[in-house]
Amino acid sequence: MSKADHGGRGCPFGPSRRSVLLGLGAGGIGAMAAQAGTAAAPQVNDAPDASAEAAARRVPYLGRHQAGIVTPRPEAGLVAAFDVVAFSPDEVERMLKTLTERIAFLTQGGEVPGRDPRLPPADSGMLGPVVSPDSLTVTVGLGRSFFDGRDWLSGLAPVHLARMAEFPNDALDPAMCHGDLSIQFCAGLPDTNIHALRDIVKSLSEFLVLRWTMEGSVPPVVPAPSGETQSARNFLGFRDGSANPDSNDAAAMDRLVWTHAAGEPGWAQGGSYQAVRLIRNFVERWDRSALAEQEAIFGRRKVSGAPLDGGEAATERDVPDYAADPDGLATPLDSHIRRANPRSKGSEANLILRRPFNYSRGVSANGQLDQGLLFICYQADLEAGFITVQTRLNGEPLEEYLKPFGGGYFFVLPGIRDAGDHLGATLLDAVRHA
Amino acid sequence: MTGNFLKTTVLAAGLAGWGLSALAASPSLELVAPLADYKIYVAENTAQLVADTTGLVDAIKAGDVEGAKALFAATRTSYEKIEPIAELFADLDVSIDARADDYEKGEADPAFTGFHRIEYGLWVEGSTDGIQDYADGLLADVTDLDSRIAALTFPPDAVVGGAAALMEEVAATKISGEEDRYSRTDLWDFDANFAGAKEIYELLKPLLAEGDSAFTAKVDGNFGTVEEVLAKYRTEDGGFASYEELSGSDRALLSAKVNTLAEDLSTLEAKLGLG
Repeated sequence: MSKADHGGRGCPFGPSRRSVLLGLGAGGIGAMAAQAGTAAAPQVNDAPDASAEAAARRVPYLGRHQAGIVTPRPEAGLVAAFDVVAFSPDEVERMLKTLTERIAFLTQGGEVPGRDPRLPPADSGMLGPVVSPDSLTVTVGLGRSFFDGRDWLSGLAPVHLARMAEFPNDALDPAMCHGDLSIQFCAGLPDTNIHALRDIVKSLSEFLVLRWTMEGSVPPVVPAPSGETQSARNFLGFRDGSANPDSNDAAAMDRLVWTHAAGEPGWAQGGSYQAVRLIRNFVERWDRSALAEQEAIFGRRKVSGAPLDGGEAATERDVPDYAADPDGLATPLDSHIRRANPRSKGSEANLILRRPFNYSRGVSANGQLDQGLLFICYQADLEAGFITVQTRLNGEPLEEYLKPFGGGYFFVLPGIRDAGDHLGATLLDAVRHA
Repeated sequence: MTGNFLKTTVLAAGLAGWGLSALAASPSLELVAPLADYKIYVAENTAQLVADTTGLVDAIKAGDVEGAKALFAATRTSYEKIEPIAELFADLDVSIDARADDYEKGEADPAFTGFHRIEYGLWVEGSTDGIQDYADGLLADVTDLDSRIAALTFPPDAVVGGAAALMEEVAATKISGEEDRYSRTDLWDFDANFAGAKEIYELLKPLLAEGDSAFTAKVDGNFGTVEEVLAKYRTEDGGFASYEELSGSDRALLSAKVNTLAEDLSTLEAKLGLG
């Protein structure tokens, strides 16, 4: 097996020194190592090759909006929800400033400061003495309980921010729901997210108490020869996010993702509503269902992701024509994509930006795999976005294979505008000038 | 933690650039008094533990379930206060204070003994019949602990590091209410663990340089907050309400404070020139 088979860790295309060596067979390696003198044969304990280019990749953390929403989704995601133990405006400000400082360091990378060796080190050290940015983004949101738990914030909560309510097919586990504050970590490697989480837990122990976390990943896809991008697959084997709005279309993002309504508090402009849902997939049962049924349930071809009314050559980018199929003969009326996005007059107002990851976390008490979706989506208006879409999906045939059990709604704060700014500055200004 | 005994040499050499303000010129000498005071504190607690355990065992022997239940939580507190030292005797710590989930077979495991086996008997089995032998064993163990501790030269790093160690224990294995799961007397243990950590911290505080006033103010403040939270759950008889009464927000507050105390107290050894 070559290193290139190790899904996405490092660059799968550049023939690394080690994959070349591995391809030579044992005799070749010995001969070559002896010849080269310096290039030793790889050992089992050698770290997998990293891509220097990927490790050095930085996503800017400054801007009108927080990173991690319309920025490209890397391979690894982690959502952590916390209770906040900061009650006065000054404490909250100190928390948000510290959080901003940690985000600046973690996302931009750099050398870990040294310390007296008799003290605990400043950093977990799990990424070594120099922290690589690795495309890390850290996206911070506030839950309804954060506002409700602080009298001085009354009247300042984003108007649609609510505690996540139970939908008919949900079986919510209280230990995996809600929170005062959410942090979404996204990076090339899961280790980068875990390092960042540990840094924040350590740096903010005074203010943040973990409630729950969920980690996920998306499988990297080898680009098509045409250069056309493709959506990643979920654990049901289907492409996920084919109908997402174009995250590079700034006007569309202003309309659909960034909060702008006149009824929203001024401080919240440029933020976004985040819906996180932990959705178990009953994968054993799914794998025992007929392909035709699976496709009818989703409304797409499994291999290509194309809508069901397309021809042989159709791709996931093709748009289904529901007007020509009023009775759902091609795309069933209760299929997932038709319910989620009926493409009817006015339904464009309900578009959401999906940014999910797949999760896998062991075995259920029944001996079945505990796998599913760490669903994350963003919208300018939670009610018009996720809540409307999920309400339309209630009762869909796919529910037989799904069980949402956790998550929460959060409001992602507006961006950190410049190096002198910090998260939540507009909110604290609003409090002090009220 | 036990192998690393006090170094009598000055450790500050070569470390001047690290910005530790409280490097003691000769840590061993400065620690003599606080260590002696701490040993007295521990000895008082082990004596109390033997006395209280004797009372608890008497109640169990007399078949008095309610009487034994009333004594259970208070008896444990003197053990919980001195855990950093008591845990140096790993064999006794296991037989005195292990929990059912330390054993694959749980409560059914014959090796499950001590306080929590007795707690299980009193609250879940509702009887003293099955715990007579465990009661005898517990009294023998705490008596043994008392004499072993009396003969012990306290390792300075175990004492200084003990403050943080107690907080780590609460943070990692107690705040969820898993310690006293049958009796729900966890708040008694929390209080004793905090008291034990604070005792060590207070004895060492005079050794911290004046330049560390920000550190001591923060630690004092966090201990203060913990005491305020726990005081809300004090009962009229001097005990504590059931863990079930602890509100989610107070639990989060305790959790944040205990983690921050662990974070700060983990620097005590370095601040005192140990390490």
